[in-house]
Amino acid sequence: MSWLRSFRVVFAKELVEGVRDRRALVAALFFPFLGPALLALMLFLVSQSSRRADEVGVDLPVAGRDHAPNLVAFLEQGARVVPAPADPEGAVRRGEVDVVVVVPPDFGEALRAGRPAPVKLVTDESRPQSRPAAAAAEHLLAAWARQTAAQRLVVRGVHPAVVEPLAVERVDVSTPASRAASLLATIPFFLVMAVFTGGMPVAIDATAGERERQSLEPLFAAPLPRSSLVLAKMAGASVFSSLALLETAVGFTLVPLALPARLGFSVHLDLAVLGRILGLSLPMVLLASALMVTLAARARNFRAAQTTLSLLMLVPALPGMAIGLLSARPPPSLYAVPFLGEQLVITHLLRAEAVGPAQAGLSAAATLAAAALVAAAAVRTFERGQPLFEA
Amino acid sequence: MIELHDVAKAFGEVVALRGVTFSVPDGQITGLLGPNGAGKTTALRVVYGVLRPDRGRVLVNGIDLGSDRLSAQRRLGVLPHAQGLYTRLTAREHILYFGAMHGMGGSGLERRADELVRLLGMQDFADRRTEGFSQGQKVKVALARALVHDPENVVLDEPTNGLDVAATRQVRALLRELKGAGRCILFSSHVMQEVSALCDRVVVIARGQVVAEGTPDDLRQKTGRESLEDAFVAAIGSEEGLS
Repeated sequence: MSWLRSFRVVFAKELVEGVRDRRALVAALFFPFLGPALLALMLFLVSQSSRRADEVGVDLPVAGRDHAPNLVAFLEQGARVVPAPADPEGAVRRGEVDVVVVVPPDFGEALRAGRPAPVKLVTDESRPQSRPAAAAAEHLLAAWARQTAAQRLVVRGVHPAVVEPLAVERVDVSTPASRAASLLATIPFFLVMAVFTGGMPVAIDATAGERERQSLEPLFAAPLPRSSLVLAKMAGASVFSSLALLETAVGFTLVPLALPARLGFSVHLDLAVLGRILGLSLPMVLLASALMVTLAARARNFRAAQTTLSLLMLVPALPGMAIGLLSARPPPSLYAVPFLGEQLVITHLLRAEAVGPAQAGLSAAATLAAAALVAAAAVRTFERGQPLFEA
Repeated sequence: MIELHDVAKAFGEVVALRGVTFSVPDGQITGLLGPNGAGKTTALRVVYGVLRPDRGRVLVNGIDLGSDRLSAQRRLGVLPHAQGLYTRLTAREHILYFGAMHGMGGSGLERRADELVRLLGMQDFADRRTEGFSQGQKVKVALARALVHDPENVVLDEPTNGLDVAATRQVRALLRELKGAGRCILFSSHVMQEVSALCDRVVVIARGQVVAEGTPDDLRQKTGRESLEDAFVAAIGSEEGLS
């Protein structure tokens, strides 16, 4: 019987078992949707928050507005002044309102006497979502103070510019599109996660699981080249890993379609990019499957294998995410690091940046070489019969 | 025909086999008898090629297992100590899987599977997944997959372990049938009645060495004891690990 035939026989059995395993199916078919779903949710929230600030304007509750009619009139130019709740501090603490301006009764008297007029700005710094409203209120109050000071100086014959040595103009170039783009940095991370989680149950079941159920011994007693046995198990894991990867990538491609068009940004993720991402990820699938089968075969038992592989998954996923958030060009040597190189190249594709064939080729070659090395090491241990008796 | 020549195997400090030599002829049932921990399972694992001996060699029909494992294993049907099954495959799928591993396929394999299902009385559960099978059902599935390629040599590690009387009798009948067909059968046991009921030849192993060999009658004569059990105790020099 040929090598290829034994490979096919074992591979077919791994697929049948995998398809009948609920855990393997959930990992390959259900989990991959989490990444795109999470991204869609976050993009939706970004679009909602930006709409509130841009279109609806800021609601500014003011308590004691009768004490400062001029100030209130000024505030109304920049925000919608609304009546304040009865208990301003309590309301802010409970998150009912983002900010409250409290004008005390002695405001007018202090103002007329030329003393600093007291105004209380109630905010909750621990709630990030209240920060834009608080900043807007603070900005309006400061503008009014500057205007009033200028008027006083003019009355006294001093040009207001004398006390304004600096004219700082702040230009915030962030747009909903750019904020959304930073979220795209998570896509390569989720792709790597999918590569691992998709194949993990099959990889464990085919090695540590078989040993725990004691079905590995009859398999070792069968006339199969051990290399065909190992590689068939890796191939089985690869199929489920690829399924998860495909689903995650397609999910991310669908995300922009599911969101309102007025979000105003375009993800560079169409069918052509999808195809390139899948092609780039294939070496990752092979390396991840080789790693998982090798480590799971050496694990003491099923549970130990699960623990080891869950940790293994984080190692390649996390640094890629960190790099993805950076905007600087990474040094070329990083492209040769398996998993990291792929994540960098995919990030470039998503940002519509140019990717040279050298970068893509280097990362694919490095990952394939690593996969071959790991597989060869696994074949050697299987040929010594180790996975069978190491437990 | 299975031959062991001076087979030795140690696991770290623990020496399991200290140079074991014996042969298993065709058309006979040979029992490997010994107390627990004597090295029976290790010896069988070396015979069916999942353990590499530190020294010595194993010949299956004259084929050296150390240099041509695949050819030797093709001529072996193996029932290991633990009958590990795939819980998500049916009994019949087990037979087909192992048949395919032995290069069988198509309608020939289907027919052979049907034949084994009938032979072992598996009709009621042949197409059920093996999850929750009784010990007897598991042994039958394991036997069926071991015999799917109609091997010339059959190696069984304590095949009747955990079986009830009816299933034990079925297994014994099957072994006699294989013997009738001229097969070479090697099985291990630490149960005296089993050995005396079945075996044409006995190889007694203790502390990793062959301490006696021959027909049950030979054994009784050599040790000068009436019953095989007494002969066995005399051969191994203690009653430890017997049942």
